[in-house]
Amino acid sequence: MTTTVLPAAAAELGEGPRTARLAREAIASGLATTLLGALGLVLGVVAIFGPTRHLRIDWLLPLAGVRFDVDPLGGLFIAVTGAVAVAVGIYTVGYAQREHWARFPMVVLPLFVAGMLLVPAAGSVPTFLLAWELMAAASLVLVLSEHNRGAVRFAGVFYAVMTQLGFVMILLALVLLSAAAGGDAFTTIAAHADDMSAGTRTAVFVLTVLGFGSKAGLLPLHAWLPKAHPEAPSPVSALMSAAMVNMGIYGIIRIDLQILGPGPQWWGLTLMILGAVSAVFGVLQATVATDLKRLLAYSTTENMGLVTLALGTASLLSASGAPDVAAIAMTAALLHVLAHAAFKTLAFLAAGSVLAATGLRDLDKLGGLARRMPVTTVMFGIGALGASGLPMGAGFVSEWILFQSLIHSPPDGNTLLALAMPLSVGAVALTTGLGIASMVKAFGVGFLARPRSVAAEDARESPMSMLTGMGLAAAACAVFAFWPALVAPALRGVLDALPEVGGDTAGVQLATFLRLPGIDGSLSPALLAVALAAGVLLAFAASRWGARHRPAPVEVPLWACGAETLSPRMQYTATSFAEPLQRVFDNVLRPDTDVEVTHFAESQYLVEKVTFTTRLADPVEQRLYTPVVGAVIALAQTVRRAHNGSVHLYLLYGAIGLLVVLLVAQ
Amino acid sequence: MSALSIVAAVLQVVVVLVGAPFVVGGMRQVRARLEGRAGGGVGQPWRDLRKQLRKQQVTPRGTTLVFAVAPAIAAGTTLLIAAILPIFALGSPLDSVADLFGVVGLLFLGTVALTLAGLDTGTAFGGMGSSREITIAALVEPTILLAVFALSIPGQSANLSAIVSATLDNPGQVFSLGSVLAFVALVIVIIAETGRLPVDNPSTHLELTMIHEAMVLEYAGPKLALVEWASGMRLTVLLALLANLFLPWGIAGADPSLLAVLIGVVAIAVKVSVLAGLLAAGEVFIAKLRYFRVPELLSGSFLLALLAVTASYFLATPTR
Amino acid sequence: MSLATYTGVLDLTAGAFLLAAVLIVWRRELRSIVHLLAWQGVALAAIPLTEGLYEGNPGPVIVGLVVLVLRAGVLPVLLLRAVGTADAERRESTPLVNTTSSLLITAALTMLAYAVTRPIIALDQAAATRAVPAAFAVILIALFVMVSRRRALSQAVGFLMLDNGITATAFLITGGVPLIVELGASMDVLFAVFVLGLLTGHMRRAFGGTDLDQLRELRD
Repeated sequence: MTTTVLPAAAAELGEGPRTARLAREAIASGLATTLLGALGLVLGVVAIFGPTRHLRIDWLLPLAGVRFDVDPLGGLFIAVTGAVAVAVGIYTVGYAQREHWARFPMVVLPLFVAGMLLVPAAGSVPTFLLAWELMAAASLVLVLSEHNRGAVRFAGVFYAVMTQLGFVMILLALVLLSAAAGGDAFTTIAAHADDMSAGTRTAVFVLTVLGFGSKAGLLPLHAWLPKAHPEAPSPVSALMSAAMVNMGIYGIIRIDLQILGPGPQWWGLTLMILGAVSAVFGVLQATVATDLKRLLAYSTTENMGLVTLALGTASLLSASGAPDVAAIAMTAALLHVLAHAAFKTLAFLAAGSVLAATGLRDLDKLGGLARRMPVTTVMFGIGALGASGLPMGAGFVSEWILFQSLIHSPPDGNTLLALAMPLSVGAVALTTGLGIASMVKAFGVGFLARPRSVAAEDARESPMSMLTGMGLAAAACAVFAFWPALVAPALRGVLDALPEVGGDTAGVQLATFLRLPGIDGSLSPALLAVALAAGVLLAFAASRWGARHRPAPVEVPLWACGAETLSPRMQYTATSFAEPLQRVFDNVLRPDTDVEVTHFAESQYLVEKVTFTTRLADPVEQRLYTPVVGAVIALAQTVRRAHNGSVHLYLLYGAIGLLVVLLVAQ
Repeated sequence: MSALSIVAAVLQVVVVLVGAPFVVGGMRQVRARLEGRAGGGVGQPWRDLRKQLRKQQVTPRGTTLVFAVAPAIAAGTTLLIAAILPIFALGSPLDSVADLFGVVGLLFLGTVALTLAGLDTGTAFGGMGSSREITIAALVEPTILLAVFALSIPGQSANLSAIVSATLDNPGQVFSLGSVLAFVALVIVIIAETGRLPVDNPSTHLELTMIHEAMVLEYAGPKLALVEWASGMRLTVLLALLANLFLPWGIAGADPSLLAVLIGVVAIAVKVSVLAGLLAAGEVFIAKLRYFRVPELLSGSFLLALLAVTASYFLATPTR
Repeated sequence: MSLATYTGVLDLTAGAFLLAAVLIVWRRELRSIVHLLAWQGVALAAIPLTEGLYEGNPGPVIVGLVVLVLRAGVLPVLLLRAVGTADAERRESTPLVNTTSSLLITAALTMLAYAVTRPIIALDQAAATRAVPAAFAVILIALFVMVSRRRALSQAVGFLMLDNGITATAFLITGGVPLIVELGASMDVLFAVFVLGLLTGHMRRAFGGTDLDQLRELRD
């Protein structure tokens, strides 16, 4: 294991000046990211507990000025982003060296973090949009950092188009808001929100849900996410999947729940449906994905879907006169954002560690990493346990709270609740079940068993800095799995700032025991872990019974169905592992399967070989995007006739345009 | 929480540990008699366990720690569930540590441990069994959680003691529509989760049909003993849960006397024996379902659970 | 009979009524479908019987007995005769919608029934009215069965289920229809089944099967 953290060490090893420079740059970039992250974490925590802080810099942006108002809600998202950036920064020190990063992405990485830290801090529409664009542009550059691969360029273009589309929607919505409120500060808008016409409110809601939803990876504008997240370098994937998607959630909470809220019932219902569909669709795609990072990216869509479902539940319950249960749903949403940030950072960093060691993302070619890369395996295991929503995992507590809020809606409520809640429970439960299957596949096929390729066989454990970065994320996962009480004061602070969704009620008591005030229901993750350890010990003790009579243990070859040796080709692959589920959900996934049988020339009864190919495309993308893209291209062809290459003609267009503007302005 | 309820919880764990092989043996015996065979006797699984526990520890080459600890995790989660559930008495000291959602999570944790162990072997059988098991588990989850939802409506809580006491306070609701539908849904789910007919055949060793057995094919000796013990305990615990959710009578209260705990032990022994006997007798008459028809069965049970929830919502509390 | 018992029995009856419909969607064996229909008839008859016994009124009891004989006895027997003896005739051929999807659609229809009957329940909180969604769900499920099944006999089952659902709704909402109306309706149904039985018999003799898809070829 090489631990070339210090440039001096690298120079001593006799490696060239190029390596030393790379090491220096990697450390600078990583440290800058970490420091920014730490700063964000501290400021965010301060903002959650302190009064709202204001900062105005009028000269920075002409006419509007830059304005920052950091309140508890913004503080929470700043703190999450900062925490993710700390882990990613340390990790990048080793990763950038191992993957020989160019100078450009190293410079942009801290900028990207800065952009993400500024978004929740923004206090006015122009500042918000500026920070949003900084974040979007920086992430685009980072996605393109391995631009010599075709897949990366395609993903980059796709991402660029969709992120700008989302931006336009957000821009329209925010412009509408400021026009209706007569001011561009969020505080002004919030003060005038109740006077706005129903039409404006509806338009803003639809536009923001689409725009912010696209950033959070929600259907139907999710298609960029499973393309861009996997193609980006892994630390960037971690930042995008664990921190950037949260900005979409932040936008929905800020604009639709806080400023415009409490909304009518159908707003909540829309969010619930969008969330449920995204969650189930995301997890289904994750279940059948064979690319490790693509699987994790779809899992992001799934988890953001769950968060949105929780937000919708909070909104619907609040509109139906059950603010105390709404507060529980809101707690679930916020806690899940935090937990998801922890386990998704860890999972992406571990996947990056595998990618750096083997050059592989394809689960069908991985395997056997547990022996070659034990620490990375354990780290991915912790992340996967969190993502599967099982007890002892980081995602369990928030999903448990979500279930509690779903089953405790008032029994004599309206039909809407009586129909929405059971269906939501079904959707969340299906998501959890399939999530378990997808994570078992990722961990079991990717890390256990025997290597399925030479590259996986020659894997080597990652350097110390990468392991440290993962270790930090793993520690965060442990907090959410066993001691979520640690973040309870922060959640309380944020909830207090959200009276629109029942934030002024008692909410959830997060201590050793999680209790729901007014509702009979409790859980204690820490005691559960202790009790489980006792149970496992007892089971172990029971199996030691009669151990004195046993002969000495031996190691024997595995059963190979009578064949001489067991070859790695006999193993189940990720594709075969997910095949039953793919078949069950055939109608939704619509796989494209070809079976080609080649016969011997001598006889058509003897089969020479059978080729089986199956392709799984994103059905939503195929059905929805292809026609739209086709229409856009057709339109572009029409417009193209106006471009004949003559400079004079273009000048004429310009002149006519100017004239028209002058005339209209009259 | 009195000293006796702690004693009752410890007793629950011990009795499940000791009793589970007898439940399995009893079911095999019922089946054997109905099929006209003599059968190995109720104590046969215990004799098997003793034999296997004395055998040599055999580690398949190339397996990791996951393979080694999976049986202990599967058994450990089941024992923990045994301590949480109200089997002999209400108000287990662990009752507020995990509710029914937590119990379901623990159940799946055990399943996942064994699934990973199956994959860890890297054999075709291991992968096949794991893939099938996890598919069924994933499809079972919606039904089981909806059933939990339906059960939690009368007591307004998913905590087990609250559900059981609500039934005890208001016995009539056992025969309500929601409760009956939830019962049927839960029975199907329990059959699927414990790998009984018609979802899986626990006594098969034919590769085309194996699910659970394929997954644990590489286990031998003491580890196999633990795996089989765990699956027996799982069946016992789930039958006890089913019995006490729908027919809680005889269970001791939250602050029990010694006599009440003893009555609770006898009551649950009778209930589990009857349920296990019925299950075994039913299995004689049915064949294993084709694997790809299992989703039909599970979607049916999902429908029943959904109906149970809506029925509880809509039919609750008539005024006239 | 106390109020609690009456409510409980009525709920269970409505549940069994709905459950039979769900199981009819689930099963493919024509014989067991007809048996389930008979059970549904029993549940249907139990509704007026329970009401009559609870209110001490002989009218509904008589109606219930008539319904019992007709729906649980005569009609199923007639249908069973129509089930062919050939192996290919004894099962529903591959339905137009697969079983898993059918069951999920059934779930959706039931939810829909609950949603649309909400105003009726709001009018009257009596136990009988609260069971109306179950009866209404059976109507919707019956329509779905008729849409998705291929065999002529399954269509007949769907038709009878539809009639069961309508009758049950009538019983639950109005507390029983006049005896003469019920008898008239039942006679209609009886004749319909006679005609269907005759037609199936003719079809089988003429074409050797009752798959409705084959009938489409007659048009060409």
